[in-house]
Amino acid sequence: MKDVMGLIYTGENDIHLGELTSLRAVAALPIAGRYRIIDFQLSSMVHTGIKNVGVITQKNYSSLMDHIGSGREWDLHGKQGLTILPPFLTRENMGVYSGLLDALKSNTNFLRLSTQEYIVLTNSHTVYNIDFTDALRQHVESGADVTMLYSRGAKSSGTEGENDTYLSVDDEGRVTGMEIGSAVPTRDCACLKIYITRRELLRQLVEQGAANGMHDFERDILQRNINNDSLKVYGYEYKGLACQIDSIQSYFNFNMSLLDAEVRRQLFPKERPVYTKVRDDLPARYIDESQCSNSLVANGCVIEGTVINSILFRGVKIAKGAVVKNSIIMQDAQIQEGAEIDHCILDKQSVIRRNGRLIAPAAYPIVIAKNVVI
Amino acid sequence: MRKKQCVAMLLAGGQGSRLGILTKNVAKPAVPYGGKYRIIDFPLSNCTNSGIDVVGVLTQYRPLELNAYIGSGSPWDLDLANGGVFVLPPYQTGKTGEWYKGTANAIYQNIPFIEQWDPDYVLVLSGDHIYKMDYNAMLRAHIAKGADLTIAVREVPWEEAPRFGILNTDENNQITEFEEKPAHPKSNKASMGVYIFSWSKMRKYLELDEADPNSDNDFGKNIIPSMLADGQKLFTYTFDGYWKDVGTIESLWEANMDLLEMPMPIDLYDKRWRIFARTSGMPPHYVDAGAKVVNSLITEGCEVKGVVNHSVLFAGVEVDTGAEITDAVVMPGAVIERGAVVRRTIVAENAHICAGAVVGEETGKIAVVGPKACIGPGEKVAAGVQVDADAQ
Repeated sequence: MKDVMGLIYTGENDIHLGELTSLRAVAALPIAGRYRIIDFQLSSMVHTGIKNVGVITQKNYSSLMDHIGSGREWDLHGKQGLTILPPFLTRENMGVYSGLLDALKSNTNFLRLSTQEYIVLTNSHTVYNIDFTDALRQHVESGADVTMLYSRGAKSSGTEGENDTYLSVDDEGRVTGMEIGSAVPTRDCACLKIYITRRELLRQLVEQGAANGMHDFERDILQRNINNDSLKVYGYEYKGLACQIDSIQSYFNFNMSLLDAEVRRQLFPKERPVYTKVRDDLPARYIDESQCSNSLVANGCVIEGTVINSILFRGVKIAKGAVVKNSIIMQDAQIQEGAEIDHCILDKQSVIRRNGRLIAPAAYPIVIAKNVVI
Repeated sequence: MRKKQCVAMLLAGGQGSRLGILTKNVAKPAVPYGGKYRIIDFPLSNCTNSGIDVVGVLTQYRPLELNAYIGSGSPWDLDLANGGVFVLPPYQTGKTGEWYKGTANAIYQNIPFIEQWDPDYVLVLSGDHIYKMDYNAMLRAHIAKGADLTIAVREVPWEEAPRFGILNTDENNQITEFEEKPAHPKSNKASMGVYIFSWSKMRKYLELDEADPNSDNDFGKNIIPSMLADGQKLFTYTFDGYWKDVGTIESLWEANMDLLEMPMPIDLYDKRWRIFARTSGMPPHYVDAGAKVVNSLITEGCEVKGVVNHSVLFAGVEVDTGAEITDAVVMPGAVIERGAVVRRTIVAENAHICAGAVVGEETGKIAVVGPKACIGPGEKVAAGVQVDADAQ
């Protein structure tokens, strides 16, 4: 057993995800045809050998709780396993976290009661499938206080960079600067907001930060300590795929990128499957008139019409004569006979009635909210 | 352990030799079916849906894969503090110990297991059939009749009756006679091999049977006839839903093809009677721009670039560009390379069909490519042939 625990913070800014996160946390956002975003963080931790995982929840966490349950699907239902850490009211705190530091402060008890030496701390809006073993090894060997995972290469999520953090990393791998929320970043190492540190050190940093009235983990703890050189902060370059989902456009683009075999290979390697809640649907059903091209289709779907360049989640029904193009259709949604949609994101259980037409421009996909009938 | 009204005993020890290469290394109940299931998912899910939460699975032949598949029983909600699914292989007692000699002996050897639950009734099942059945409704009928043994039956076409164990009954469905494969049947009520016994009677007859050195220790041949001879109360319970034997290559193939009918003759979409299964955890399947998929069932993890027509594809099957699959059952992890043609064939788990190979024919018997077998580039496999990886 590795001497490391995991902690996932799920309270990030979701304003640009609009309707998609009005009733759920970003972590619980359905993605890639059968998953929720948190499946990727949980599965990565489990494949690293982590047996003790905390999930800090903030708002609208009922769908998240429903999804992860006892943690059984991730083999996290053991003696330590999964701990869900919901917000709670205290004398100092109304249960609303103003940032990661605030959230950690409320959960120092969980940190104190855990026994592992190291901790992997991550956000919940980045999709990746990472075995953290190598990053942990580097963390220990470099003698770093904190190791920050980053990837090179620019990305644009259409949010003016407000959720982005960029790092400058020197030749020794030491993080020398940090740039948070800049619309025109001058550094090229995109921070994945995955941090490795010692559990006790994290607890001390959090206690000290909170005692000094701080709220923001990145600005007040990491950036400050990097700037005044009081912590050894190293970077670990992750060369695989990692995608931040923080806007409707980035959500749409990420899902569509899965139609590329290379992206699927990176995100779903055979040796590291991504676990999720099981639904017991039967395989997808095609009939004589079915036409399907360049699409991902989950179990439980029934395709009687035409599906092109699209992602269908579990239990989606496409009736005869219906045409679905460039769209993402979440579970149990229905496209009735003769209806046509293009560049749409349909949330769960939504229905496009007979002969309905919903054609959006490529640059601005339409979102149809959960349970809506059009 | 707390008392249970009814416990189920699932006979999973048979070899299933009529499935040939498919059961060479696995027990029949572990044979894949319907894109994502194994045969045993049906009786196990029926138990869960019927509210029966103690299931003993009697294994003997090639149990490793079946044991791994059942695991803790969590896919069927059978990982319980008080109850659950238990794999029961034969075991040694003191200096003795023996294999299960017959169906009745298998239960006899597990009397201590059954007694732990102090049940009133014992349900006996086999792992040979695809069906959705409410065992609890059958149990209610058993109790209402005050029966000692209730046998589930199907009314089969008269011309097929000579192939089955036939139960002759009076007007109250009380069994008067049991005939194994009668040449001139007097009834068309065929036994499904699903029994509910009152436990005290069952225990008594198992012990009597065990004491008889000439017995075959078989329910059909020995237990049922001796209970009838003693005037015990035996009743039939008629089941009229979909019920398909999957004991032969042809019938396993047919049962898979049945799922492509519209509407599906066995409703697997029914949310109130889910058939549960252990899943592969693979992403949704991908259908390429050049692919054509019609009239088929495709499971998660598949990558389809060729043509799939009237076929069932299990998890993680790859069908490359220009390959053509028709009337086929392709089990998990099999790969069909570029330009290969597969017709009326069962392609078993992790089999590999190389480019340009031609497997099966449009008519005639079903061809089988065994687990991990490889068909070389351009090779031909005729109808009815079974290809064994170990013979290659």
